Amino acid sequence: MSKKKNSVYSNYSLLIGIILVLFILFICILSFIHIPYAPNEMNISERFIKPNSDREHLLGTDNFGRDILSRIMVGSRTVLLVSISSVIIGALIGITLGAISAQFKKVVGSSIMRIIDGLMAFPGILLALMLVTVVGRGIAGSIIAISIFMIPTFSRLVNSMMLDTESLLYIKAAKSYGSTNMQIFIKHFVPAMLPKLVTQFSSAVGTAVMIETSLSFLGLGIQPPNSSWGLMLSEARQFFLQYSYLAVAPGIAIIITVLGFNLIGDGLNDFLLKRRS
Amino acid sequence: MLNYLINRIKGAVIVLFLVSIITFMVLMILPGDPAQLILGTEATPDMVKDLHVSMGLDKPYYMQYGSWLIDFLRFDMGESYLYGESVSLLILNCLPVTLSIALFSMIIATLVAFIFGVLSSVKKDSFIDYFSRSIMQLGTAIPSFWIGMVFVVFFGLRLKWFPISGYVPASENFIKFLKSITLPSVVLAIGEFGLLLRIVRSSMQESISQDYMEMARVKGLSLISIYFKYALRGAMVAPLTIIGMQFAKLVGGTTVVETVFALPGLGRLVLTAVEHRDIVLLQGLVMFITTFVILITLVVDILIMFINPRIKTFERGE
Amino acid sequence: MDKIVNIKNLTINDNKNNILVNGVSLSIEKGEIFGLVGESGSGKTLTAKSIINLLPENLDYKVDLIETIGKNIVDMTKNEKRELIGKNVGFIPQNTIFFLHPMIKIKNQIGDGYIYHMNKSKKEALEKASMLLSKVGFENPDDILKYYPWQLSGGMRQRVNIAMALMNDPQLIIADEPTTALDSTIQRQVIDLFKTINEELGISIILISHDLALVKHYSNRIAVMYAGQIVESGFSDDVFQNPKHPYTQLLIKIIPTFNMKKNERLSEIPGFVQETGRGNKGCVFRFRCPKAMDICSEKVIENNIENNHYYKCNLS
Repeated sequence: MSKKKNSVYSNYSLLIGIILVLFILFICILSFIHIPYAPNEMNISERFIKPNSDREHLLGTDNFGRDILSRIMVGSRTVLLVSISSVIIGALIGITLGAISAQFKKVVGSSIMRIIDGLMAFPGILLALMLVTVVGRGIAGSIIAISIFMIPTFSRLVNSMMLDTESLLYIKAAKSYGSTNMQIFIKHFVPAMLPKLVTQFSSAVGTAVMIETSLSFLGLGIQPPNSSWGLMLSEARQFFLQYSYLAVAPGIAIIITVLGFNLIGDGLNDFLLKRRS
Repeated sequence: MLNYLINRIKGAVIVLFLVSIITFMVLMILPGDPAQLILGTEATPDMVKDLHVSMGLDKPYYMQYGSWLIDFLRFDMGESYLYGESVSLLILNCLPVTLSIALFSMIIATLVAFIFGVLSSVKKDSFIDYFSRSIMQLGTAIPSFWIGMVFVVFFGLRLKWFPISGYVPASENFIKFLKSITLPSVVLAIGEFGLLLRIVRSSMQESISQDYMEMARVKGLSLISIYFKYALRGAMVAPLTIIGMQFAKLVGGTTVVETVFALPGLGRLVLTAVEHRDIVLLQGLVMFITTFVILITLVVDILIMFINPRIKTFERGE
Repeated sequence: MDKIVNIKNLTINDNKNNILVNGVSLSIEKGEIFGLVGESGSGKTLTAKSIINLLPENLDYKVDLIETIGKNIVDMTKNEKRELIGKNVGFIPQNTIFFLHPMIKIKNQIGDGYIYHMNKSKKEALEKASMLLSKVGFENPDDILKYYPWQLSGGMRQRVNIAMALMNDPQLIIADEPTTALDSTIQRQVIDLFKTINEELGISIILISHDLALVKHYSNRIAVMYAGQIVESGFSDDVFQNPKHPYTQLLIKIIPTFNMKKNERLSEIPGFVQETGRGNKGCVFRFRCPKAMDICSEKVIENNIENNHYYKCNLS
C-alpha cells in the first residue's frame, strides 16, 4: 500500500515540475515572438497601474510606467540564460575535473579534489560574491561566478560515481580489450552516470536561478534598465509599501522556476532509486 | 577514535590553507591597483609608489601571501580603505548581528523540521506527510529577499508587530533585540528548514524500520515513548550534523537578508566591500567567515563523535 | 487446561496478493513449551507475530480468532492490545544486534515497560532488572545495567533480552530463533534457562526454530510448518516417534546437522520452499516430496489420529 502511494507522489513531483518548467520555457520562447509592450519603454503618465485595472496591462506597470508582464517575459530570458548556461559550463568543467581526478588518482587527482574541497568550503553565495567582484557585474559576471560555484558538486559526483563504477566487471573487460580511456569513458561511464547527472543538473539549475536572482537583487547581476526578476524586486522595494503588487509577479515567477527545477530533480531521483530497487 | 580526530583536524587545516590561497589569488588578479584605488585619481605616481611599499605590494606574490597569512593568523587583517578602520574591528562589530540571526533561525528551522519530520515519518503518506513534503519543497523555492519584503509589509507595516529594519543589541534591550532579529531569522529559517526536514524524515524512517522499534512495540510502551525515546534517539546523528553545517553556512549566507532588513551584520559588510571593491576588507571577511565555517563544522563533527562514540564500530557488527 | 494462545484459520497476504501464511490454526496451553518448527520462509515467525500484534503494516491478514492470554485481540483497540501484550507477553528476538537500542544504556531500556505498565518507580525497575540479570547468569548485573548494548557480546545481549522479557512476570514468552548466531555452549545455556523459567514460573513459551533437535528436547508439543501451513502437529513424543508427514520424516532424518545456519535451506531435501502459489489446491510439499502421488496436486487430506496428532497428507 504505502509503496504504491509513494511512487505516485514522486511521479506527481516530476509531473508538476515538468509542467512548471514548461510554463516558464513557454513564457521565455513567447518573449521572442511577441511582447505586449517594449520592456524598457518608460511612460510616466502610466505609472503604477494596478494589475489588469485598465485591461491593457495584465500585471500592471512599475514606477517608470513600464509594463510588468513584458518585463517578466524578457526577464525570463536573463534568468534562464544565466542559470542554464552557467550550470552547463560548471557541469562540463566539473565533470572533466572529476573524471580526470578519478582517472589519475595519485598526484593530479588528489590535488584536483583538494582544490574542489577548498572551493566547497566557501559558504553560501560568498564565493559568487567574491568572483563577481573580480569579473565585474552584469550577465557575464554572473555566469562566470555561478559556473565556478557549480563545479565542485559535479566533479565530486562524477568522481565518486566513477570510482564506484570502475570496479565493475564490464569496465575491466573493456580495458583488457584495449579500449582507450576516452572510449571507455564515453561508451561506459557516461551512460552509467547519465541519470544521476541529469538529476543533479535539474537541481543545480534551481539553485542557479536562486543565485542569479539574489545577485541581481543585490545589484551585482544584470544592470538596469535591462530586466531580471531579482532586479525587478530590488527596484520594487522602495515603492513596495504602497504598491505591493509590484513584488507579486517577479516573486511568483522565481518560485515557479526554482520549484519546477527542484521538483524535476527530486522526482527523477526518486524514480531512479525506485527503478534500481 | 584518536585517528579519526587527527585526520579530521588535518583535513580541516589543509582545506583552510587552500581557501587562503584561493582567496588571496582571486582577489590579487583583480584588475586595478589597490593603492590607486585608495588614493584616488589625483594621487601622484610617487604617492602611489610609497603606498605600494608600505602595503608590501612591491614584493613578489608569495611574499605578500606569506605575510598576509601570518597577519591573518594573528587576527590582523589590515585596514579597510573604505572605513579607515581595522578589518578585525569591523568584523567584531558585525559578528554578533550575524551570529544572532543565524543562531535564532537555526533554532526555528530545527523546531519546524523536527516537528514535521517526526510527524510525517510516523504518519507516512498521511495528510501531514504530504503537507510536510510540500512545505519542504516550497521553503527551498521561496527567495529570501522576496519573503523578506512580504514580511516587512505584512508584519512590520500592517500589523506593526516587529520593526522593519535595524538591529538592537541584546545588551541594550533584550525584548527589542529579539523583536529586531525575529523577522530576519524567520526568513532565513524558511530557506533552511526544508533540507533539515528531509534529513529528519529519512533518518526517522530508517530508525522506525529498525528492530529496536519492534521491541518497543511489543513492550507496549506509549506512543510518545516509542517515537521519541526510541525512534528519534536513533535518528539524531544525521540531523545534528546537518544542523551544524547549516548554521556554519548561514554565517556566510546572510547577505541578502541583512540587506532586506538593513541589519549591520557580516553579510552587509561583505556586500559593501564588493560594491566598493575594498579588497583588503573583502579578503579579510572571506577568510574570516570561511575559517569560522570550517571550524564550526569541525567542532560539530567532533561533538557528534563524542555523543555517539562507538556508533561506527557498532554498525560494522561485532 | 486453559488455552493461552488460540489462533483459528489465520491467512496472511502480502501487498502483491501472495499468500504467506495459509489457514493456520493452533492453540497453546498454559504452562507448556510449544515448538514451532520450519525452514526460513515457512511463515512461523509471521504466525507468532500475529499473536503479539507485530505483523508488518504492509501485510493483510484474515483470521477467525486470535486469542492472546485468553482474550480475543482481533476486535480490540490499539490501546487495549498494547496494554494486554505489553503486560503479559515477553518477546525474545533473534539474536541480531539492533533489538536493543544501540544508543540507550541497558538500564534505560530494560525497565521502561515495567515502569509503564506496572506503575513502578525507576528504582524498583532497576532492582528487578538487576535481580533478573543475575538470574539469567550475570555475576555483575549492576555493571551490565550501565553498559550500552554494543559493549556486550552476542550471548550477553541475548541474556539481557531474556531478562527484559521477564520484567513484567509475563504469562507467555515468544522466543523467535533465540539461539541463532550463538555458539553451541551458550545455546544450551539459553535454552536450559527457558526450561527453568518454564518449570519454575509456569510461563508458557513458544519456541520458534528451524532446529528440530533443539525443539525435540525441550517442547511438550510441536507444530511443523511448511510454506505457510502447519503440516503436522502433536505431542513432541508422538511426532518424533511416529512422524506421519514426509516433510517431518525428512527433517527428523537430518537432525544431526545441528549447527545449521538460519537461512541455509535444507540441502538434504531437494528444491526450495515455494514463495508463490501457496493458496493453490493440493499439497504444498508435493514438489519436494519423495512420496508424491498424482492425487497430491488435486487435494490433500487432513488427518487426526490419537492424542491430537494432526497431519496433512494423502498418505495414511
